[in-house]
Amino acid sequence: MTQPAADVLVIGSGASGAAVSWRLAGYGASVICLEQGDWVDRERLPKNHVDWEVRGRRFWAANPNVRRWPADYPVGSEGENPVDIYMYNAVGGSTIGFAGNYWRMAPSDFKVRTLDGAGADWPLTYEELAPYYTINESVIGVAGLAGDPCGPPRDPLPVPPAPIGRPGELLVGAYEKLGWYWWPTEQSITTAAYNGRPACDNRGWCTFGCPQKSLSTVDVTYWPQVLEKGVELRTGARVREVLLDATGKAVGALYYDGDGAVREVRAKVVVVACGGLGTPRLLLMSASAGHPDGLANSSGLVGKNLMTHVQSFAVGQFDEAVEGWQGTWGGTVSTRQFYETDPSRDYLRGFIMSGCRGWSPLNLALQVAPWGSGHHAALDERINHEIVMYLCGEDLPEEANRVELDWEHQDRFGLPGVRTHYALGDNSRRLGTDMIAHGHQVLDAAGATSVRDFGLSPIWGWHLLGTARMGTDPGTSVVDGSNKAHDVPNLFVVDGSSMPTSAAVNPTHTIQAIALRAADRIWEKRRDWSF
Amino acid sequence: MAYDRKQGGHSVAQANRPDYRLEIGRAEVPVGEPRGFSVLDVPRATTLRAWVATLIPARGARPDAAEVGAAEYVDATVFLVPALRPALMQAIDRIERSATDQLHKAFSECGVEDRERLLREFEAVDASDAFNMVRDFTYEAYYGHPRVLAALEKETGWSTTSPTRGGAMRPFDASRLERVRKLPARWRKA
Repeated sequence: MTQPAADVLVIGSGASGAAVSWRLAGYGASVICLEQGDWVDRERLPKNHVDWEVRGRRFWAANPNVRRWPADYPVGSEGENPVDIYMYNAVGGSTIGFAGNYWRMAPSDFKVRTLDGAGADWPLTYEELAPYYTINESVIGVAGLAGDPCGPPRDPLPVPPAPIGRPGELLVGAYEKLGWYWWPTEQSITTAAYNGRPACDNRGWCTFGCPQKSLSTVDVTYWPQVLEKGVELRTGARVREVLLDATGKAVGALYYDGDGAVREVRAKVVVVACGGLGTPRLLLMSASAGHPDGLANSSGLVGKNLMTHVQSFAVGQFDEAVEGWQGTWGGTVSTRQFYETDPSRDYLRGFIMSGCRGWSPLNLALQVAPWGSGHHAALDERINHEIVMYLCGEDLPEEANRVELDWEHQDRFGLPGVRTHYALGDNSRRLGTDMIAHGHQVLDAAGATSVRDFGLSPIWGWHLLGTARMGTDPGTSVVDGSNKAHDVPNLFVVDGSSMPTSAAVNPTHTIQAIALRAADRIWEKRRDWSF
Repeated sequence: MAYDRKQGGHSVAQANRPDYRLEIGRAEVPVGEPRGFSVLDVPRATTLRAWVATLIPARGARPDAAEVGAAEYVDATVFLVPALRPALMQAIDRIERSATDQLHKAFSECGVEDRERLLREFEAVDASDAFNMVRDFTYEAYYGHPRVLAALEKETGWSTTSPTRGGAMRPFDASRLERVRKLPARWRKA
């Protein structure tokens, strides 16, 4: 038999793959990471160019069906409320196109079933995850202020909160008028020089790439450190299947190299970190005689319980010029006024609201400016007169919302695409309706003369969670509280697919905290794996 | 991209329902570079120039879309995505025929009001999606162009240079949190 090439094989180099590799390599484990994509050519980041909005719709398009980079695979969107999928297959994964909101979940988010009688409990607590949040904040360089009364006491953050500009000031005025809780949004942006990266220079629209390297995408945070620790990163490595030995242990993976030729890599432990669509895709592709319905799928839940968050935007129009190009894109100031379940409302769980800038010219024109003689007047009414609020609510898990393999649409080496099926549940609809109404309320209080919103569907597919959920019962979950597969003794799933519930906040920080914690669980058991 | 949703009319790009919204991903056409026509012949190029100029006319310091090369940009895109060429050329021909049939002159020779009316008639019956394609590409060519962006900044105050050059901002004033800091904790223990 081929000898293991490493202690740990990590599949996927995104938010969680980078974090788990960093932690394990720091302990001294030998790690190989396979990434189907490649490093992003930073010169091609849209915001290096005056026509950045156009590049953002083409080369940098967040939907892989549009972008079609060599490593992208087809993604179908079906169901009553189809998900507009946004994800990247590259070193850094989907962080390379994220906005950088870095929330910690709340303690109640981990015990939804116990507290609210819906969804599921996590097999771990906030207190168990908190130290890993702190580690992650230190590596990433998270901006913010400790002391938010909407969360438990916590350590100070590495760098100060981002400037909020006139749009943020207007929202602060609204929150003060309403008497609501609010706080500067925590973001993975180096607002001061940090760990060799410069301070943010306020270009904004972070999702279109940060030439400054102030947005903490993992290709500029974790990966330089991970490579220094000796981890071998193989790019253009598209994993076809996880390999098992005769005893049912994972022994490595088969993957296609950049030319489509199959390669094999062996390791003592296999960690899957391919994201909410990629992880179930790989587990389902890894079906075998011993796992006919897919690897680690004795529960039948691989690919099930897809959660996306209940999301929308509310946009306020103001008579005055609002300097809408100022402030971060991800969130200037936010409120968790409606975060916890309130028995007086007709739904469970809650939502956040985060202030953004105004829309940029091309996107605004495409949204609201009709062609023809009225074009400029319609644009001028709104450009520099609008501010945007991002609304994000908890999406409870439902088995019918799912990811499946799609053999009718394949990637360029004949591996299947995936098809998502999604419909908003009743609770999500009620929550979303109330969330949007409160978005209007805030903007009205800020002085908006009118407010528009984007409704709840199609679904904004930035946050793809829950498709290999963790839990204590092998019959109702895929991995345990250590992120180890119930069915395979040395296979771990450490990304957002392991989240049993979604909370109501952007998930990257939590995903990385989970991965760091899982790394510790792997290391603690290293003698079992003969490291 | 995620942020261009038309109010009330957004459809999800699907792998199994190809359209121009999908095809553009591999067609990188830098805006504002000098270029001619690679696909369209001279008569069709003339019609398309008049078409894009009608979609976004000039106003104040802002030029019309033809002046900043929107027609050439559309042509360059379909040059890279040949599957889009038939719809474009058939649409141009149809608009040209309407102008000839109704007004007995070339579309490019019609007045602004007639051009706009002819385009609205075509838009209403266009099942090929060509109209939407030309409109979206024209918006791209227009709002990616440095001349337009400079004029936009001058006329609306919107800073079009900050996304690529950045700028100074006042730090967050933590004293604004005085009231909130005094509020009771608002999270549930679990």
